[in-house]
Amino acid sequence: MERSPSKHNKKPLYVGIITKMLSVILGLAAMAGLAFAVFLFMNPNFIESSGDSLFQLTHLYYGIGVIIASGLLALVAKGIWQYKNWARTILLIGLLVFIIYYFIVIVFTVSSYIFAGESLVPVVSICKALGQGLLFFLEYTFLPGLLVFALMKINQYYEESPQQRDFIDNAVRYLLLGTALSCIIIVFLIFLFTMTEAWSSIEEIGMDTMLLGTIWRPGSIIGTEEAQFGLLPMIVGSILSTFGAVVIGVPLSIGTAIFLAEVAPRAVRETIRPAVELLAGIPSVVYGLFGMVVLAPLIRHIDIPRNTGFGLLNASIILAVMIIPTVTNIAEDAIRAVPREYKEGSMALGGTHWQTIVRVILPSARSGIIAAVILGIGRALGETMAMIMVIGNSIAMPKPLNNNPLTLFLNTARTLTGNIAVEINYAAGEHRSALFFTGVLLFIMIMLVNSAARFLMRSRQES
Amino acid sequence: MTSEVESIISRAKNKRNLRRQNTIQVFGYILVWVCGILAVAAVFWIIGYVLSQGLQVIDLEFLTTRPAGGVSGEGGMSTTIVTTLYLVVLTIAIATPLGVGAAIYLVEYAGDASRESKVVAFLVKAARTGVEILAGVPSIIFGLFGFALFVSYLKLGFSLLSASLSGAALILPTIIRTSEEALITVPLSYREGSLSLGATKWYTIFNVVLPTAMPGIVTGMVLSIGRIIAETAIFWVTLGGSYHLPKSIMNSGRSMALHVYMLASETRAFDKAMATASILIIAIIFLNLTINIVSRRLTTRVTGKK
Repeated sequence: MERSPSKHNKKPLYVGIITKMLSVILGLAAMAGLAFAVFLFMNPNFIESSGDSLFQLTHLYYGIGVIIASGLLALVAKGIWQYKNWARTILLIGLLVFIIYYFIVIVFTVSSYIFAGESLVPVVSICKALGQGLLFFLEYTFLPGLLVFALMKINQYYEESPQQRDFIDNAVRYLLLGTALSCIIIVFLIFLFTMTEAWSSIEEIGMDTMLLGTIWRPGSIIGTEEAQFGLLPMIVGSILSTFGAVVIGVPLSIGTAIFLAEVAPRAVRETIRPAVELLAGIPSVVYGLFGMVVLAPLIRHIDIPRNTGFGLLNASIILAVMIIPTVTNIAEDAIRAVPREYKEGSMALGGTHWQTIVRVILPSARSGIIAAVILGIGRALGETMAMIMVIGNSIAMPKPLNNNPLTLFLNTARTLTGNIAVEINYAAGEHRSALFFTGVLLFIMIMLVNSAARFLMRSRQES
Repeated sequence: MTSEVESIISRAKNKRNLRRQNTIQVFGYILVWVCGILAVAAVFWIIGYVLSQGLQVIDLEFLTTRPAGGVSGEGGMSTTIVTTLYLVVLTIAIATPLGVGAAIYLVEYAGDASRESKVVAFLVKAARTGVEILAGVPSIIFGLFGFALFVSYLKLGFSLLSASLSGAALILPTIIRTSEEALITVPLSYREGSLSLGATKWYTIFNVVLPTAMPGIVTGMVLSIGRIIAETAIFWVTLGGSYHLPKSIMNSGRSMALHVYMLASETRAFDKAMATASILIIAIIFLNLTINIVSRRLTTRVTGKK
């Protein structure tokens, strides 16, 4: 495709001036960079290499870096001189990076001043600091900002050949493919790193000893006795607390889902749904705090010796509230997905609305509801911070407090997630490796649970 | 004679059955109403309790002084606000380009590209599976991963950088999914119009599709901000928990949620924990409102109705 030359030959004077000036400045900068590189090679001691930095940077690396940078600058200068669009794009990106960098620096500085928090900062000086920060920011970014604006304005006078355009199109496609693969790469990295860290414990302690052992006694706590790493108490703790959450939370959630999908008047539905969604957003530490401050004293009222209020019951109630939004949302979707004809057919045969719900709608939404429950289980198994705040974190196998087996739920326990979170920050050696094995175990459990849910949801969509 | 009697009896039975069914229905309705009310009551009980306890403690001094540290639980929460802001900005800055890029590829390129080559088809399938798996991974696993890779292996230490890299892995699936949904809703005719004018595919995506999908993408970002603010387990194992103000991204810090945990579990200063928690809850409510407004504007724009 031949471009009409008339449009591009007639460039206004200011475009020419800006372009040539930019090009000259960039070219000069490139030359200055080269001169600096030569200077560096003549005076190797100009840069002091610090011993503790991540990379050992010497004058050689700096010199090479400066040469590469100046080469790039020269290239861009040449491109600008010839009105090439790629040069304009590179320059724009560079300027934007510069502006963003300064923005971050200023934000860091200003907020360090306001929130440093040695003492109370009066409002006046807060405003003053904000103003000064803004002034600094403008001072540093005024010229680059102006340049960005100018470059944006004169973009139509810069040209690009079809080959270049195709090249960019293709390059972008591969770049985007790379970003699309980021998730699977992260999954792979998670598996790789937890596995390699867990490997030494699998080899030295043995998988069966860890899975079936009932005593967890990391050596770093009790020096003289031999360390033992049995995960069974934590597995039992995770399963019991999740079971309790399902018993309490699932009927409530399914009831709420039926209510929202079938029974509730529109206005009530519009207020309840955002409230339930809000429940999903509340931080888990807030649930934990609530469990510690409100639920624990309430549970302590049950008059049984050694009942502390912290334990499986508390954890189950908190978990039940936490899985309500997950289960309710997905179950409601499943109920809504039941074809209208089913409902109408049942009502036309003379069934009441409730009969229709129980005998027709719930059975046909069954797989979706089961998937919702399984996803809720996945969420409950993975919950960490709320658990370590309310479950008591004892490392012993949970047992009933007296003859009544139900008092099992009043006893303290520890979940797999809690086991990791409580000890990882100071663990070392075999202990640390065993904790990573806990993570691998948890990861596998949750992968199984989630793939079961996904399988159910997919079969529902196909049928 | 007998048939008449039978019909009377059966009519009476039917009537009784109907009455019974109606009673059952009333009980059923009451049951689900109670469920709905209980769910909402849980929300209001938790939020109401935390806010009523926490808001009493909050004043300007609490907001602008730093935690005193140690086991006293004295001091304010200023540095935790700053750390949380830094974390949010860094994490979003890392995750958004990756997530939006992935969504663009999956929506705009994946279909054609998979038909063209087997390898790409396999990669696309792997990418989709990756998103699904990652969405279900519990946060403590992300924490372990960040601890193993960023803190230990890459020697970034307990720092804002390693925390936000791990956090970015957490929010990536959220951003990809919401951006995908937003991109799918852009009408095909927009793309066709731009392509028929001679624009390249990338030009079309960048200048036509992305601006139209922007409200949906922003919704995903706001959702992710909420998750980062609420997240604790990851930062517990990667951020360190220093109450000093981070001077750079290589410093350790303490987010608001982490502050709540540390106050509650180490110092028993429950009033300050409640105050911090209520700031958290206010932030979450604010973000939820923002999402509602943005998504309402989105539907207005798509359907053309107010």
